[in-house]
Amino acid sequence: MREGLSYSKDHEWVKLEGKLARVGVTDYAQHKLGDVVYVELPDVGKSALQLKEKKSKEMELGTVESIKAVSAVYSPLSGSVKEVNPALNERPELVNTSPYDEGWICLLEPSDPHVEIKNLMLANEYAEFLKSLK
Amino acid sequence: MGHPYIPNTREIREQMLREIGVASVDELFADIPAKIRLRRKLKLPGQMSELEVTRHVHAILARNRPFTKMLSFMGGGVWPHQIPSHVKELVRRSEFLTSYTPYQPEVSQGMLQALFEYQSMICELTGMDVANSSMYDWSTSLGEAALMCSRVTGRRKFIVPALIDPERFSTLRNYVSGPDLELIKISYDKGTGQLDISQLRKELGDDVAGVYVENPSYLGFLETQVDEVANAAHKAGAIFVVGVNPISLGLLKAPGDYGADIVIGEGQPLGNPVSFGGPLLGVFACRDEVKLVRQMPGRLIGMTTALDGKTRGYAMVLQTREQHIRRERATSSICSNEALCAVTAAVYLASFGPRGLRELGEACAANASYAMRKLRTLRGLKVPIFDAPHFNEFTVGYDDIGMSLAKLNAGLLKRDIHGGKPLRGEFPELGEAALMCVTELHTKDDIDRLINALGEILG
Amino acid sequence: MMTNYRQARWASDSLLEPLAFELGKPGRSGYTLPPKLHEQLKIPKNLLREKLELPELSEVEVVRHYTHLSQMNYGVDSGFYPLGSCTMKYNPKICEELACLEEVECIHPHQDEETVQGALELMYKLERFLAEIAGVDRVCLHPSAGAHGEFVAMLLTRAYHKFKGDVSRNQVIVPDSAHGTNPASAAMAGYEIVTVPSDGRGRVDLKALEAAASEHTAALMLTNPNTVGLFEDKILKIAEVIHGAGGLLFYDGANLNGILGEARPGDMGFDIVHFNLHKTFSTPHGGGGPGAGPIGVKDELEKFLPVPVIEYEEKHKRYHLNYDRPHSIGKVKAFYGNFRVLVKAYAYILLMGAEGLSEVAEAAVLNANYIMRKLSNVRGYELKFDSIGSCKHEVVFSVDPLKKETGICAKDVAKRLLDFGMYAPTYYFPPIVSEALMIEPTECEPKEELDRFVEALKEIAGEARSNPEKLRSAPTSTAIGRLDEVKASREPILSWRMYRRQAGR
Repeated sequence: MREGLSYSKDHEWVKLEGKLARVGVTDYAQHKLGDVVYVELPDVGKSALQLKEKKSKEMELGTVESIKAVSAVYSPLSGSVKEVNPALNERPELVNTSPYDEGWICLLEPSDPHVEIKNLMLANEYAEFLKSLK
Repeated sequence: MGHPYIPNTREIREQMLREIGVASVDELFADIPAKIRLRRKLKLPGQMSELEVTRHVHAILARNRPFTKMLSFMGGGVWPHQIPSHVKELVRRSEFLTSYTPYQPEVSQGMLQALFEYQSMICELTGMDVANSSMYDWSTSLGEAALMCSRVTGRRKFIVPALIDPERFSTLRNYVSGPDLELIKISYDKGTGQLDISQLRKELGDDVAGVYVENPSYLGFLETQVDEVANAAHKAGAIFVVGVNPISLGLLKAPGDYGADIVIGEGQPLGNPVSFGGPLLGVFACRDEVKLVRQMPGRLIGMTTALDGKTRGYAMVLQTREQHIRRERATSSICSNEALCAVTAAVYLASFGPRGLRELGEACAANASYAMRKLRTLRGLKVPIFDAPHFNEFTVGYDDIGMSLAKLNAGLLKRDIHGGKPLRGEFPELGEAALMCVTELHTKDDIDRLINALGEILG
Repeated sequence: MMTNYRQARWASDSLLEPLAFELGKPGRSGYTLPPKLHEQLKIPKNLLREKLELPELSEVEVVRHYTHLSQMNYGVDSGFYPLGSCTMKYNPKICEELACLEEVECIHPHQDEETVQGALELMYKLERFLAEIAGVDRVCLHPSAGAHGEFVAMLLTRAYHKFKGDVSRNQVIVPDSAHGTNPASAAMAGYEIVTVPSDGRGRVDLKALEAAASEHTAALMLTNPNTVGLFEDKILKIAEVIHGAGGLLFYDGANLNGILGEARPGDMGFDIVHFNLHKTFSTPHGGGGPGAGPIGVKDELEKFLPVPVIEYEEKHKRYHLNYDRPHSIGKVKAFYGNFRVLVKAYAYILLMGAEGLSEVAEAAVLNANYIMRKLSNVRGYELKFDSIGSCKHEVVFSVDPLKKETGICAKDVAKRLLDFGMYAPTYYFPPIVSEALMIEPTECEPKEELDRFVEALKEIAGEARSNPEKLRSAPTSTAIGRLDEVKASREPILSWRMYRRQAGR
């Protein structure tokens, strides 16, 4: 994993960049999925709620697909989509090769980041979380 | 003595039980609650030998009168054509017939490539880029097309022509009942049957997901304004869906060339026997646009290479649309489809080729045109009801013949001729009318025989 | 141990058999047509085609091409086909012969009823056979496939509740082990899916089911025996729970082969039962169809069945298609069902008879249990559930132990099995067993072949330990090795024209 990011229990990461927040899936997620063949990016302007215990459609930000599975991407923070990563249309494999950099999925305009970010894990907490999953 | 299909005889089964330390087969069913354990024999006939079954089935089927033993003019959703013998032989090869879904592509390249060829040939016929490897039939393809239009556009209305095949409409209604989409019928010109374009334009709001026409229509005439329909639909952001009988596409323009986004239809006439209406072959094809292809139902075979990067091969692709991965979020629940009927269509199309299909289309249209001309010489018939170009089916109006259609058809049947499908039940506004189908199977003598018979009956 | 299986391989360079589009020459033809009438066709120019790109092959080339393709394929007639939940049993050839009769292929659904009494009689009788086998009151033969039958069952469910004025029922309960078509079909019919987990015994968790059942429950969809090959022994309690909540019970008939003649879904409390004729009733799978998925219902749902229904008039001894059904849901496809397939199933039921169908279940269940016991002794494979009891006609093993030991997974084992001239079991299904291999031998498999199968798996486990690369590179005896399925989905080439475009030709 990467320092300086916050992590959700569903293996999404988020990085605050001024007023915006960049979202992607973690290395663990891409590894579990296998070779990514397609990313269904959310529409710009779409709003999503922060992922809670009980998943719901309002928390979804698109999907990531391998040949044998589809995983919904859940929003680590509530907000609306400002930008999506166009590179993923041509090269979905960036999610595998560069999950924290070139494989970013979208940029959110978060509604209440400083409060909601407390619900997420820091890098070392996420590492512990991953250990507990084994 | 062992049953021919159960190689493990009672003795062998006893030996197997001993080997695994189970006292009796009954023990293996012990977890079925006594209350529901069936302790009697099923009330079914006793086991029959092949000979007895053959005799029994022959006796029942002897009460069928094949249309090949009479002169038939029936069509309307399933059509008789000549099937080359080699087509039948090839698809009965047991490696095709007794295989299942090619989950293991390495050992199933035969089926996969044959289906890829089918997909490809359907694309050439329809002018689309992508075709799935089959749906159940035209009517369920239509249902799925409406659902797909709604998923892609996010809209909830679907427009169809008023003269749509009523059975297809009923099936469509069932398919759209899940998400409760609204179906709108557009009326037609009473003289020409053509779609009322001005009414269509009125209905085309930003809530329309798709517009559907059948070309040729269910009643056999061609929709000559398809370019306008396409433009109107696209201007409103709706998807243009065209339903076809692919036999016509050897002669007629591909719907993709006049603006169709999705093409569906009935593939049965491509080498599959009529078989009392089943199995059929649902054609489903669309343009290569990501938003469409990803929402497409059904199986898709794609070309790829082996892991060596060189050897060309085929595999099922984009399975993440399908039920075994997406479950309740799948584009459709379809799993088993009509694969062997699709392979049959591929073999048929490979045999006919472009010239064969064109000649076939011309033959059907020419024979139908001759039939219409000769029918017009009979007093009291309106042939066709709609003043428009037709392919190989047409309506005949019998309002002025001075007898009921039932009586007329009975008279024909006595002469070993089966008339077309009566339409009054489906479209009462057409009066006493029937739908006739003429194909390459009909000769000039056949049609003359029909005319003479009608002449005799009508007096 | 027979590993000398070699599938035919038509190839030159890096091409297996060329595409039909790559064969032939202009002017060749594989058809003949009688002379055409000369009529002036009045088709407007804007609707006439100018060009059609299809292959131009002689009949000789067509026959060789598709013969080559068939040789690079594998069916039940080729060898062992233990694809779990698909019931790949032997397809009797007499059934094929009967289905090719002129009286089957050359009758039209619009024909005057007097001229198709044979077809109507056969279908009527088949309906009654299936009703007796399943313990239901009325059967409809229209659905073309299992998933289609499930969808129709969901439409009937909705019609039933709507008729009773019960409009709050918007949920369908589905076990987490269910085949994907179940939730997909229910979702197509507009239902919300509620998934219930399986318990430690691999059966539906009764407590979870009780919690999930409510006044919103329209139905429960259940397979019994379930997809791990185990009989849902609490079925009577399950029925009580769902009926108590006001819901209906739907039976997915995919696994009927495990209880034919031993128990009937209708007696278990199921209200709607579906059949897979291409599984239990031995009509050939055709590489993915055509099959048939008839449904049977109890009396209270009979009025909603699709039209037409087949009636018999005792007085005139006539069969009749009845469309006068005011509560019917209408049509679910064109005409009356996959007739040619129905003929095969009808003949099969007569060939087996009452005693034969019971023997089918006994032999099928014994074959599966035989494999279960023998394979349990092979290190590397384990049973996740109920290893003490019995399974029914199929058994699910997990390759987890072998994976932990060697890194070899279920997929590698399956691919290597192909080299032994056997088809691989279903893998990675059901979702509740990790590294699953779902094995259904059917009653048609001789003991020697079952022994060979277990031996092969044992040998493969050994290879996993000593020479795992052999498994990872398997299969090598088939027409082609493993395919790049990732590339296939990343850059889909789905037709000849897409191929040409991509290759710039």
